[in-house]
Amino acid sequence: MTLTLTINGTSRTVTCEPHESLRTVLRRAGLYSVRYGSDTGETGAAAVLVDGRLVSADVMLAVQAEGHRIETVEGMSVPGQLHPIQEAFIEAGAIQSGYSTPAMVLAAKALLERTPNPTEAEVRDALSGILDRETGYLRPVHAVLRAAARLRGEEPAAVEVVRLDRLEGSGAAHRDRDDLPPIAPRVVPSPDVPATRVVGHAETKTDAVKLAKGNPAFTDDRDLSGMLFAKVLYSPYAHARIVSIDDAAARALPGVRAVIHHGNVPRVRYASGGQSYPNPLPYDQVSFDNKVRYVGDRVAAVAADTEEIARAALDLIKVTYEPLPAVFDENEAIREGAPVIHDEPDMEGAHDAAHNIVHHIEARTADVEPGFAAAHRVVERTYRVHQVQQTPLEPHIAIARWDSDDRLEITSSTQVPFHARRMLAPLLGLPVKRIRIIKPRIGGGFGAKQEMLIEDIVGHLTMATGRPVRLELTREEEFMSSRSRHPQTITFRTGVDAQGKLTAQEMRVVANTGAYGTHGLTVQMVTGMRGLSSYNCPAKRFDCDVAYTNIPVPGAFRGYGAPQALFALEAHMDDVAAEIGMDPIEFRRRNWVRKGDPLDIAPQLGEGDVEAGGTPVITSSGLEEAVLQGQRSIGWHRRSDPGWRQPADRPHIRRGLGFAMAMHGTAIPGLDMGGASLKINDDGSFNLLVGATDLGTGSDTVLAQIAAEVVGVGVHDIIVYSSDTDLTPFDTGAYASSTTYISGTAVKRAAEQVRRQIVDRAALLLGVDAASIDLHDRAAWAADGRSVSLAEIALSTLHQQGQHQIMGTASYVSPDSPPPFAAQFAEVEVDVETGQVTVQRLVMAVDCGVPINPVTASGQVEGGMVQALGYAHCEEMAYDDAGRMVNPAFGPYRIYRADEVPALEAILVQTLEGSGPFGAKAIAEIPMDGVAPAVRNAIADATGVRINNIPLTPERVWRALQAS
Amino acid sequence: MITSYYRPRTLQDALALAARPDAVVLGGGTAVNAHPGRPPVVAVDLQALDLGGIRADAGLLRLGATTRLQELVDSELVPGVLRELARLEAPSTIRNAATVAGTIGTADPESPLLTGLLAFGARVGVARAGSNAEHPLEAVLDDRDLLRGSIITGVTVPLGGRAAAHGTARTPRDVPIVLAVACRDADGTVRVAMSGVASRPVLVDPERLGQLVPPADFRGSSAYRIHLATVLTTRALASLGGSEPA
Ligand SMILES: Cc1cc2nc3c(=O)[nH]c(=O)nc-3n(C[C@H](O)[C@H](O)[C@H](O)COP(=O)(O)OP(=O)(O)OC[C@H]3O[C@@H](n4cnc5c(N)ncnc54)[C@H](O)[C@@H]3O)c2cc1C
Ligand code: FES
Repeated sequence: MTLTLTINGTSRTVTCEPHESLRTVLRRAGLYSVRYGSDTGETGAAAVLVDGRLVSADVMLAVQAEGHRIETVEGMSVPGQLHPIQEAFIEAGAIQSGYSTPAMVLAAKALLERTPNPTEAEVRDALSGILDRETGYLRPVHAVLRAAARLRGEEPAAVEVVRLDRLEGSGAAHRDRDDLPPIAPRVVPSPDVPATRVVGHAETKTDAVKLAKGNPAFTDDRDLSGMLFAKVLYSPYAHARIVSIDDAAARALPGVRAVIHHGNVPRVRYASGGQSYPNPLPYDQVSFDNKVRYVGDRVAAVAADTEEIARAALDLIKVTYEPLPAVFDENEAIREGAPVIHDEPDMEGAHDAAHNIVHHIEARTADVEPGFAAAHRVVERTYRVHQVQQTPLEPHIAIARWDSDDRLEITSSTQVPFHARRMLAPLLGLPVKRIRIIKPRIGGGFGAKQEMLIEDIVGHLTMATGRPVRLELTREEEFMSSRSRHPQTITFRTGVDAQGKLTAQEMRVVANTGAYGTHGLTVQMVTGMRGLSSYNCPAKRFDCDVAYTNIPVPGAFRGYGAPQALFALEAHMDDVAAEIGMDPIEFRRRNWVRKGDPLDIAPQLGEGDVEAGGTPVITSSGLEEAVLQGQRSIGWHRRSDPGWRQPADRPHIRRGLGFAMAMHGTAIPGLDMGGASLKINDDGSFNLLVGATDLGTGSDTVLAQIAAEVVGVGVHDIIVYSSDTDLTPFDTGAYASSTTYISGTAVKRAAEQVRRQIVDRAALLLGVDAASIDLHDRAAWAADGRSVSLAEIALSTLHQQGQHQIMGTASYVSPDSPPPFAAQFAEVEVDVETGQVTVQRLVMAVDCGVPINPVTASGQVEGGMVQALGYAHCEEMAYDDAGRMVNPAFGPYRIYRADEVPALEAILVQTLEGSGPFGAKAIAEIPMDGVAPAVRNAIADATGVRINNIPLTPERVWRALQAS
Repeated sequence: MITSYYRPRTLQDALALAARPDAVVLGGGTAVNAHPGRPPVVAVDLQALDLGGIRADAGLLRLGATTRLQELVDSELVPGVLRELARLEAPSTIRNAATVAGTIGTADPESPLLTGLLAFGARVGVARAGSNAEHPLEAVLDDRDLLRGSIITGVTVPLGGRAAAHGTARTPRDVPIVLAVACRDADGTVRVAMSGVASRPVLVDPERLGQLVPPADFRGSSAYRIHLATVLTTRALASLGGSEPA
């Protein structure tokens, strides 16, 4: 049918089918800011304004909108000038991946047109339909309030760093603090840190403008002529053999261009986890197998002219299955007699496939038994952590095509373009040189995209058809067939002496890696590493079985094994403190690692080549200061105030405060490598090419700040391009908290080469000694105050004299992995009659070395805490008896919304980490580590009940209260 | 799947279309479009009819069928408890399209708004070719045939009572696992409605909560739901307290 739609004030005629959504039709009309998050309307990524009202374009038909005024963010800014709401989002640091930013900007516009002076609650309500997995909503909410002020003609205060006084040794630790502006980054400066011009400042993100404007920037915004649409047929069984596949009817359907399955795709073994060469064993996957191992496993794929035809073709593929018994629990899976999940003869590298044991991992620093024998008390407890999903708002999406040189070009929302290229080559039978992977902007990843998940499918289909092929997972497919966090059963056994010092500690884990190994080995190594590194102890032992089961596959998820370990460890440390009657923080303080202490378990559980360097030692720690800052912010003294703990007017409410300590890693030492190249342009600007993959974290900005600091320009004089296997240097990718530290050091070294070349030319032009030259404010300065601009230097070197390209290329791999430290606090209210827990406030004080950008660092902490709160409190992948996920949609799978998140505070405690660029350590993953145990410990503080399983949903808490 | 679309201008035309066996009436479309079935259907969009609006007269609140949930949230005429339940029904992006009649047509088993409307003793106006009728909301939820080939024209809610809602949920704005809404009419009649204890929101007898057989899911076992029903009913009734209007 033909419709006339009024879009951004212009009347446009479009053709569409009656069933097509407004989102589909607007995107086809080139309005790429209207983004796909699901088909059912709950993500809000496709929110638009219809007659000034914010509605989800997923669940409105295009034809319903006829005769109404449609607005998208494309209509909000005029060339060269942003709308004040867009400006406010940029200034507040409210944009991370930017995938849903256009929707939020529109929500703000609709609200402010009706309510020019909204309350915070009204802003939160207006944003309630737009899910965000990245910011924790704090900055978007305050961006809207900023915009409101500006539109009313008020000028809001600049977002500037608030410097907090150091509390360690000050005696001021337990005094109330003044109220601070909600989104000003809080930094506790270290006197060791030298002054810098760009690094350490609240610079706006380099990609913020295009994201605020909703410019086409993501994979799905590529529109290739002749493009086919792929759909995948997924297994309805948790475990079954495929007896036969009959694809004749599907092939015969007009518009179907290819059907692929195990009968016509070569059987090449691989492991899908995006990791360095050689990928860790086992190699237990093939593109399409004659067996399925979970509900959601791949069976076949189709490429067709339209999505509808592809979907119809799936229904026509006749598959005969022989269902097999299935097992879902990790402890049952490794018992004698359990169904064997990998019985295929050609699988490589499982520890004991006949017993579903993929890996057995052991590590110890000394015999633990003497320590237990000598202990004053031995405490043993078992904890269980469950399966949750990363749920980036942008699902997995990849588009393949043959380029003009007959090379296969795949644009993919991936965290690991270089690994994906290398891993794809054998599956497709192409040499690496004939594959190019382009990573455009990514709408979040959180580890789900540290995986070569769908690139092989589009590759096979493009090779089969010769045409471009696009595959995007629906939200349901994303839940059922992508990746998730490993469930684990964790037992800690701890010996303590009479003074509260650890004498021995043992951690036994049975982990569930689902149907395939992928990250199963390394995630569990991190579990052991993180579970046994925070505290000094003369004897430590780690023992772990990793089990195959028939659940959808766990993989990499922000934190990578640490959130599991630290839930158990930090719950356990609280339990031990209670057993021996000691204050939980004081007990930890007697044992936690300090600067100079060895990380004694690391040599046995590291992935990279650390043994060459011996046992690593802690080189910086701001933990003590972080704990004091966090205690003060949360009001820790209220733990001993009975009137606060049990409010008189609400008899069924108990309040409590909980603490957890966290320590993480910074990159995989001896393994993670990043490369960068930097070159000058005629105007004194620079192109920075990095293989690092910004997922929305702001890493492009941080890398630009590092380069800008070295060559003496502003951050917006650095044009960052990331990443493309043809154009940028190699990088292992965005994972393991490595980008700032590893790629950042590569950038710094490349920039230092450039700096030397600039200084040499400046010395020549100014007639002074190179050693006396300083670079700042886009110029080179002699000691006498004379200067020559970088533009003049660029023109001189490019065109006039001794011509050469000023450029530098460097790469970096680190022998160290200096840990960031954090103190996580939670405040809860427990309804003791129903078990409902309300988390009121989360505070994390973190030592990430020198934060290169305090705004993006704070954003990582705020958003990370909310994602971690989902793990603690409400998110879970739930299954029926047949292993089918029963809640593969947002809503039933609950992630926090803008109108219900607790108060959040991030405090950045500086230390100068000598090995990091400008003193930096990592910050991206540590926010995932402490929330679950802190909330659990807060519930224990409130009620006396210690719960050893998450999530802390109402019935679980109620049952624990009943049992006590 | 919607294969053709009509936007009738009169109720008469709409009723003629709605009588077709393959017709689907569209309020906001947020439920219909989220879960399109496979068989071809004809959409009958009510937006051009004059079925919206909120009025209060003679002790009755009249909600037009196509009144959007956000209008309920925003209206001073609507009792505070119902406004809050309409807010809890769905987030901003959905409330601006979803309608009162569509919420009744969807009959979500956990709908907070329907639970509230039940407690308030709401009645539903239903038109079909040649006849108009008004049914208690409970009857409409019970007997889906009442809506077949019909169009909901509006909902009436008695005013002047007092109400309170108490729920238990995983997070503050999540759909409650169990929600209890108690309402005392101006004449003193007390009704308690509940979601999460049956396959649809129901009116319950506070004295006989033990007889409920709630369907279990991963958020709550049957036994837990019965426990919540007891606690939340007690709280809701206690909150009714004195006798000021809602
Ligand atoms: C993202 C999202 C989140 C949601 N969250 C919640 C939630 O938390 N809790 C909850 O309970 N619900 C929730 N819902 C459901 C929501 O309440 C319904 O989608 C909405 O109320 C339906 O209203 P509508 O006008 O859009 O209905 P439509 O989709 O237009 O219609 C729904 C049904 O009602 C029928 N119908 C509509 N109007 C009439 C009429 N006048 N006469 C007869 N039949 C009619 C239709 O034929 C159809 O069967 C959510 C929905 C979405 C999409
Ligand atoms: S601030 Fe230190 S105990 Fe309260």
